[in-house]
Formats: sequence, structure tokens, C-alpha cells
Amino acid sequence: MQLKGEMSMLNVLHIQDTDVSEICSKLEQKRDEAPQFFMQSPIVIDGSELSGNALEFDFSALKKGLLDLGFIPVGVRNFPPAANNLMRESGWAVMREQQSAPSVSKSEPVQESKAKENQTTKTQPKDSQVEENKENTNPAPQANPVASMKNQMTVDRPVRSGQQVYAANSDMTVLSPTSAGSEIMADGSIHIYGALRGRVLAGARGNESARIYCQSLQAELIAIAGRYQLLDESNTTLKGKPAMIRLEGEKLVIEAL
Amino acid sequence: MSKVIVVTSGKGGVGKTTSSAAFAAGLASKGHKTAVIDFDVGLRNLDLIMGVERRVVYDFVNVINGESTLKQALIKDKRVENLYILPASQTRDKDALNKEGVESVINELKADGFDYIVCDSPAGIEKGAFMALYFADEAIVVTNPEVSSVRDSDRILGILQSRSKVAEEGGTVKEHLLITRYSPERVEGGDMLSKEDIQEILSIPLLGVIPESGTVLQASNSGNPVIMDKESQAGQAYMDVVSRFLGEDVPLRFVDPEEKKGFFKKLFG
Repeated sequence: MQLKGEMSMLNVLHIQDTDVSEICSKLEQKRDEAPQFFMQSPIVIDGSELSGNALEFDFSALKKGLLDLGFIPVGVRNFPPAANNLMRESGWAVMREQQSAPSVSKSEPVQESKAKENQTTKTQPKDSQVEENKENTNPAPQANPVASMKNQMTVDRPVRSGQQVYAANSDMTVLSPTSAGSEIMADGSIHIYGALRGRVLAGARGNESARIYCQSLQAELIAIAGRYQLLDESNTTLKGKPAMIRLEGEKLVIEAL
Repeated sequence: MSKVIVVTSGKGGVGKTTSSAAFAAGLASKGHKTAVIDFDVGLRNLDLIMGVERRVVYDFVNVINGESTLKQALIKDKRVENLYILPASQTRDKDALNKEGVESVINELKADGFDYIVCDSPAGIEKGAFMALYFADEAIVVTNPEVSSVRDSDRILGILQSRSKVAEEGGTVKEHLLITRYSPERVEGGDMLSKEDIQEILSIPLLGVIPESGTVLQASNSGNPVIMDKESQAGQAYMDVVSRFLGEDVPLRFVDPEEKKGFFKKLFG
């Protein structure tokens, strides 16, 4: 057997206040939007946005509430260390904070996701490895440069019509062409060195500073942080040319590269 | 080592069955023991194109269900040595196919010493097409020079490289592009995609270009694989395809408009 430090896809519940019943009712609404997706999914509680006193938080009630909703409570993190005992007593695993994780376990998922890409063409977004929650940890420069490096997904096979590739929490580099009818998405920026013919969505989870860079702009649809535009409805002169797309206010701006 | 080759396209009516028949007959005529399997269960056509429709006793589904042996179902071609046809069932539907059954048939063919197993895929991306491509080592993607056919080929290429057995095991299915019903005159006139356009969109290596030709229809209707018609351009083009597939370096033919020779070309060329 092998014991490895690896990251895998986890849902993270960020809590702001200590009202457990309200948290559960909001979560229930969320779950009912996609019951299949959340069914028996592991969940981590993040306390970094908590405004109330962590020592007053009813961790047992939250655990029970989550189980009743069909989630599998895994652990808690980013709570004040004073609450550690309380959380452990309620049966929660106290997870290490991001910056204190060893750098080895940081770089591993990157390689993994790359190896995985080479094998499968990942028609499902969930095929891509997710290193969860990098944005809302400390914004200050970090002591460990390896730990602060952003995850990166590289696609070196053509993305065909009907295929979807999603780089969660990372940028994406595509070395091959993407076909009409394909969809590439990233939470960060997207670089495409082959012809870009399908849909392209950067900043998929609302990152407005994400950009799209391409060598040959023939996309059907471009989008950054939810603002989308059909390329045919744009009056750009850069169709078929190298271009960069960024968000300026609410408008997508296409500029020559 | 036997090879499993799927002839597929996504779109219907582009010439998969015609190409499967021609390709398999070509391989056999070059001395390779070849079986061609019709995966279009319920709409069996391959036996017609091969001219063996009156010799079908048992079919692919019978073999999968254990109702007959593979030997009983395989039809030996009377014109070409080394060529065998495994017809589809006309009375069943695609649900009669399953991975285990298909795998056992393919393995038995391999054990019988077949060099090439050509899988004639049905149109679409549903079960029949999926079964035909699942065990493939190589794929011949048949495309017509028009946008919807190219789009569908693109889609099937994506499925090949993500859902086939080879892909699941981390490998790559070798891709070949076969353009059929190509009319150089209409390409020049601008109402057909050129082979360069198609290659740019699909970005896979070109195996061959089959010119649009009346002899193809004639051959199909008479149950003779068009490759046996050594006079016709289509037959010759298919033979080139087979040679190229076997590793020979054969230049493309019939891809430029005819009768357009200029004065100087007529004189000197």
C-alpha cells in the first residue's frame, strides 16, 4: 500500500456566522439545484470568513445537519486554533491550513492532472483534477515560492467538437486546435496556440482579471467571468488573427496581440 | 499481430460501408487475411455491397449470443482469397451488441490468424458506432467535403480518443482521414471544401481522396466492391489508399480538375 499526500476535489463551505440552522437551510437550497452532483459529496468547512465567535459555534449540530442533507463532513479549517479541541470533540478532522502544507503535496496534483490529460481527452469537466481553494487564502506574498505557484493545465490534443475541458482553479494552455462545437473553460486565463474555433470561457468562477490569449481567433463564443459575446456579433477586425481578450468594466475588449 | 481498424464517420451516407468493403477487399487482395464486420445491426448493408446477401445464414448477433459459431457465420468471399465477411443481423437492433460479445468475436478472429479486422461502423454516435470503435487500434474517418460531415467527423474523433479501449488504457488510436465523393471541379468552383480545408479543421493525416464517381454506385448496386474495378478512378484511388495504409509511398491522384490543361501543358506536359 501507499500513503500519499494528494489533493482531490472537495466542496468547501465558507461560513460567515454561527447560525447552524440557517446554514443548513441555505445549503439545502443549493443542494436541490443539483442533487446528483452533491449526493454523498465530501465537504470541508472553512472558517476564515466567520465573524462570530468560533468557540460558540455548534460543530456537532453542523455535522449532523450536513449528514442529514446527504453530505459527508470531512474536516474543518481556518478556524482559530483555540477552537481546535472543540472541533475535534465534535468528531471533525482539523485540516492544516494551505500555506503550511508541504510543498511536495502542492506540486503533485499538477503532474497528475497533466498525466491524466495525456491519457484521456477529458470530455467531462470533472475529469480534471481540482486543487481546491487557492484564491481565498492569504493574499500576501507567501514564504514558500513553490506553494504560491498557480496550478496549470496543459492540453496537447485537439479539443474536438462536443468535448469540454475545464481547468478548475487554474490557467489553461492549449497547444492544439480547438474545434467548432467544443468548449474550453478555466477559472483563470486561457492561452491557445492552435486555432481557437469553439467556445472559450475564462474566469469561469467570476475572476474578472482572467484573460484569453490566442493565435487565431475564430471562436464561436468568448466569455470572461460570465460576460459573453458571440464573435460574429462583435465588430472586431481581429478574426483569424492573434488576439487578447480582457474584461473592461462590463465589456469584453478584443485587442491585437 | 492482427489489427482492428474501424471505418467510421459520425454522419450517415458518406461512404463508410463502400469504403469498408473496398478497403477490406484491397487488403485481402494484397495477401492479408482480412475480416470485415458489419456493425450496423438492424440496417445491414455490407452484405449487399459485397454481393453476399443471399449467402447469409448466421450473423454477428447470432455469434455474440452463442447461437452459432463464428465459423458458421463468416462468409468467405468467392472473388478474393483471404476475405471474409461477418454480416449484421437485419432483425435485431443495436442493443443486441455488448462489449463482452464483441470482444470475444474480435479475439476469436485474432486467434484464427486474421491480419486485419475491419469494423464497418453505423452512422451516429450511439451504441452501434461506439461498439464498432471501442476495440479499434486504428481508425479510418470517412469524410465528405462538406461542413456537416467534417463537423461530425470531428465529433467522432473526440469520442475515439476518449472512450475507446485504447484511449481508456492511456494510448492513442491511430487516425487516418479518408475523403470520399471528392469533386476537384466543384472544389475549384468553390462550392466544395478542399482537402486542405478539411485537413486544417480535423488536423489528422490524410490517407486518401476518393473522387466522386458513378462507378461507385454501379459497383455497390451490383455487389462488387469498387476496388475490384481496376479501370475506374475510384477503384484505383481505393487501391492507393490500401497501399498507403500498408506503408507504401503513393502520390495522391484524381485530386486536380481534368480537361483543364492549358495550351503549354498540352504541348509539354
